[in-house]
Amino acid sequence: MRHLQLSLNKGQKLRLERALEQLESLSSKANSDASVTVADDIPVNYEDAILKGHGTAEMDGRVVATLCGVVERVNKLVYVRSLRARYKPEIGDIIIGRVLEVAPKRWRLEINFSQDAVLMLSSMNLPDGIQRRRTAVDELNMRSIFEENDVICAEVRGFQHDGALHLQARSQKYGKLKTGQLLTIPPYLVKKRKQHFHYLDQYGIDLILGCNGFIWVGEHVEVKDDMVEDVLEKSPEPQNAKPCNTPVDKPLEETRTPLATRQNICRAANAIRVLSTLGFTITVEIIMEIVDLSISSSVDIHEMLGAEFYVVVAENEAAQRSSSSRKRKAHLVHHPAPRSWINARTTYMRRS
Amino acid sequence: MAGKPSSGPTTYSPLLTGQKVKRPILTDSDWVRPDGRNHHQCRPAFVRTGAVTSASGSAYAEFGNTKVIVSVFGPRESKKAVMYSDKGRLNCNVSYTNFGTPSRAQSPDTKDLSSMLHKALEGAIILESFPKTTVDVFALVLESGGSDLPVVTTCASLALADAGIMMYDIVASVSVSCLRKSLLIDPLSEEESCQDGSLMITSMPSRNEVTQMTITGEWSTPKIHEAMQLCLDACSKLEKIMRSCLKEAASV
Repeated sequence: MRHLQLSLNKGQKLRLERALEQLESLSSKANSDASVTVADDIPVNYEDAILKGHGTAEMDGRVVATLCGVVERVNKLVYVRSLRARYKPEIGDIIIGRVLEVAPKRWRLEINFSQDAVLMLSSMNLPDGIQRRRTAVDELNMRSIFEENDVICAEVRGFQHDGALHLQARSQKYGKLKTGQLLTIPPYLVKKRKQHFHYLDQYGIDLILGCNGFIWVGEHVEVKDDMVEDVLEKSPEPQNAKPCNTPVDKPLEETRTPLATRQNICRAANAIRVLSTLGFTITVEIIMEIVDLSISSSVDIHEMLGAEFYVVVAENEAAQRSSSSRKRKAHLVHHPAPRSWINARTTYMRRS
Repeated sequence: MAGKPSSGPTTYSPLLTGQKVKRPILTDSDWVRPDGRNHHQCRPAFVRTGAVTSASGSAYAEFGNTKVIVSVFGPRESKKAVMYSDKGRLNCNVSYTNFGTPSRAQSPDTKDLSSMLHKALEGAIILESFPKTTVDVFALVLESGGSDLPVVTTCASLALADAGIMMYDIVASVSVSCLRKSLLIDPLSEEESCQDGSLMITSMPSRNEVTQMTITGEWSTPKIHEAMQLCLDACSKLEKIMRSCLKEAASV
């Protein structure tokens, strides 16, 4: 494994190899014979009318690859998926990004993609919550909403003509993220699901799985819809210092996060690091499992990044899958080479 | 990493006593290569991808004493000053480490090498696949043992393949030195320093195309033909080694 830079002693290496072999044998597709390097011929039945997709080119009547990767076939479409797959954005994806600069009427965010994403001022709720046209004063006060190096959660609204992303953060659940850790993992380990915001109530932490490979683990924040609050709650203190996801600039009391929450945040973050190094798909269930495993075997937080815990996680996962595969088909697949999570046709259409 | 030779106080590199390297007196007898190779034999090549984990793609190449590491970043955002273009941009930078050459006085012209690397690679990369963005290639020569630019080009193409940049074909590069009557392939630094002429070819072997050819010095036409043939054969052999390295990296 190229990213595993741990020193494993002999026993641990053996156990890890055995666990990985077991996982390989359980994974559904054997892909090794379909791997191809640049300018390799792609075995194709030339009589069929095939569509040459992403990563292929035509040369002298043959179909050759322009990327190093794995050949995938979907009906008539033949394409090459590269191993270090970059993030492929789609409209509606939940994304986490870091502000790089504050530009006229927009913020530029870095999102682990080939180009920076743009969040327009008009796609952002104003602090006072009123829906109105953005004036010059609003533009001058942009910095009070988001500054450079802030971590922001947003949704993909669309694409610009040159391929850069347009984001929007109009709901209360989007916005600036505070008190937590931002983790970077390979984007193909995060699958598109219905829910990307998770609240682990037994630990009191929020987990946001960004589709671009950025994961946020942080202190739990109550998401309140301002409009509803005015109607329902006739609270005598409408401006109390509740931590909110809205970019409120009111001076909040400096409430210290309790130590237990912070430890849980670190534990969850380390669990994600271990899982991503081993190449497992990141889902809430598996993160909770690993955190529970680490607590039950009383592994210290810093020991979670040690060699022994890696091996334990791999073995645990191998044992789990082999037992569950007997009952049903394992739907969590191990990734020796990353799989495409997107409908291949959409990829092809966009790329052409 | 590689400090500019002109900056800071002058330093003196230690004299290697006991290894008095005199310029060899060239007699009419055949040149015997210092490492015992035939005239038409290349050095054994060691290539590995994935050397730098923080880069999009990287490769390490060791051809005898010439050791090169190349990292590729991208495609990533271009500088704002650049106008929109539907082709991507390629940015190459070659640098030498302080300890890479035997003495400071021999530190080569890295700007020259960078632009030659650029010309060699831009014919092979499909620039239309990453419009408006830039791919940065940084080559660092850890030790210069002769035939540096061909090794850098070969290593850079592996790093680009590792990064997943679309290319027409991987490029392999070999150079030949002309010394009196003999043609020496894959020359060492001693051979390069007393050569009469050099010919370097960067080719895409599967497509049977050449992206760059550089000839310097004294050549006669039949010698050029012979040297070109040698280079192209060596390139196709080198390509097999590169492909097996990429396949191995993919199967891990």
